[in-house]
Amino acid sequence: MNLVVALMATQHGLTKDHILRSVSGYREQWESGASKDALEKMFERDKESLRGLGVPIDTIGDPADPDDLREARYRVPTAEYALPEDITFTPAEIALLNLAGSVWSSESMSADARSGLRKIRALGIPVDEPIIGYSPRISLRDPAFPAIKRAIEQSRVAVFPYLRPGEDAPRSRRVRPLALVEYEARWHVFGYDLTIDAERTFLLSRIVGDVEVTRQSFDPSLREGAGEKALAGLDRVAATHTALLEVHPGTEAALRLQRRATPAEQGIRLPYVDVHVLADELASYGPEVRVVEPPEVRDEVIRRLRATLARHEDAS
Amino acid sequence: MSAARKPLVATERAALILQLVPYLVGKGEVSLTEAADEFDVTIDQMREMVEKLTVIGLPGEGGYWQLPHDLFDIDWDLLDAKDIVSITNTVGLERAPRLTAREAAALLAGLQLARSLPGVRDSDLVTGLLAKLARGASAAPAQVIVAPGPVDSVRDVVDEALRRAVAVSFAYNAPDAPATTRTVDPVTVHIANGQWYLQGWCHMREAMRTFHLDRVSEPTLTDIPSTHGGDQVPEAFAGLEDEGEVTVRVPERLAPLLSGFLPAEAMEPANGVVTARLHLADPRGIKRLAARFGGAMEVREPGVARSATREWAEAGLALYHQPDTQD
Repeated sequence: MNLVVALMATQHGLTKDHILRSVSGYREQWESGASKDALEKMFERDKESLRGLGVPIDTIGDPADPDDLREARYRVPTAEYALPEDITFTPAEIALLNLAGSVWSSESMSADARSGLRKIRALGIPVDEPIIGYSPRISLRDPAFPAIKRAIEQSRVAVFPYLRPGEDAPRSRRVRPLALVEYEARWHVFGYDLTIDAERTFLLSRIVGDVEVTRQSFDPSLREGAGEKALAGLDRVAATHTALLEVHPGTEAALRLQRRATPAEQGIRLPYVDVHVLADELASYGPEVRVVEPPEVRDEVIRRLRATLARHEDAS
Repeated sequence: MSAARKPLVATERAALILQLVPYLVGKGEVSLTEAADEFDVTIDQMREMVEKLTVIGLPGEGGYWQLPHDLFDIDWDLLDAKDIVSITNTVGLERAPRLTAREAAALLAGLQLARSLPGVRDSDLVTGLLAKLARGASAAPAQVIVAPGPVDSVRDVVDEALRRAVAVSFAYNAPDAPATTRTVDPVTVHIANGQWYLQGWCHMREAMRTFHLDRVSEPTLTDIPSTHGGDQVPEAFAGLEDEGEVTVRVPERLAPLLSGFLPAEAMEPANGVVTARLHLADPRGIKRLAARFGGAMEVREPGVARSATREWAEAGLALYHQPDTQD
């Protein structure tokens, strides 16, 4: 901590030598005869952990020989460290942010959200009446979520076993992950699949094993706009894929499906993005819905109902 | 806020101290309890952090020890006598640090979900905030996006009832039950996995109830003032009347799919198979969940639930049965 304060107070930067001799924490050890080598290692470690906390540290080298770091000076550029002065929040915005920060059911995301809120609240802005009456929750049931998110943050290639429905064994995919998207209550990762050289969207629930975040990195600028692109892609799939369904009026199926569908001559037309996700839902309605087309959806629903029947055949 | 408060490691403490100084400067005077609560640490941890703060400061010049005004300082009398923290000298760190990319990502995704609320929808407020958060972050946050759900008039009426603090009445179609007309004092709209639930005091049942908004139709505002608006809502898995217990088995790899239906304690894993006990108003209702799992879930007990599941699948298949095919 003394290091941060010292590096922030300096305009021109401090040399490593100066830091080790004068900044509390190093100075005591220096005076009691610690080796310079050990102290330099300690300084490097501290510098890295501060960067990890989001504290930017500039290294100003010798202008004549930028690679020579022996006389380099270090400083924390205040403008890059602090929340910009011109960013202010209205009381209504703070109230909305408080709600936004409360949605995470996973511990690490919720700790990040609370920590971010704390920084904003420290600006000393009065808060509107809290937004009451709503408790939105984002749940993260997919074990792959944290690792994929880390890979995106670090712009690194991820490798994971992906099981497509209907296939017997998962296949290893090597992907530049670019954005996480929740669509129809399911988490997807949008990225560039290096095995097939194309953009792909993966359902996190089909990642059936550990995600390896490799040391291979990619250009972070590839992430720009990826979320919108993924969303547009899913919307496009939903717009071109529809199922024709007959629903029994007044049933659960009618209530749940009709609001998402458009009326058709023989029943309703329901847009969908994934055959298997849709078939899971339609199977749950049992005799309340009949799939007219497409055949792949109908076959998947029949397959689920048959398997359910077989599993409970002995019941009387 | 968090139940288990772990000891702080050095980097965590450093991160908190960076936030603590601007917080204390902004507050003027604040009790240890309030500060501990804001930072999700124990009161003892907060006291320790504040004490540590006072040995932090600028480097001493020319090998001399640091002088008092080169260090952070607090009003010790106030801390000792009243457990109140007041910072009396600062040597930097007064301005809050930028959000880390992770902090910004967590808030940005939350905001997108908040955007789907009727009172907030499409307002300039959200758009402005999204831009500010992105600009206030130290590095580009990972894009974590929540797709907007459909606009819905039922939600608007319920929202209006919440705002006006009046009861709302509607037709309710629970699965496998005749439709009923309900009048409800709204307490909370709970949103999870894209599903919207109204929790409130049901005049008919004279108890707290949870209603899936998809099953609500013809909602109308009443002029009956809501008298239970401030009540506590039951925990997510409680609050159903006449509960029946159903025992099911699923492969362990599919068990996370059940997490929305029951607490983790209710699941027993053994040999790659999880046995779970679910609570349903009507045990036969399990047939819907079982059919969704397509044979991967086995309904074990009670017998009525097991046979209901079989009949459900059978009746469903009958729709596809053609005279010239044989199964």
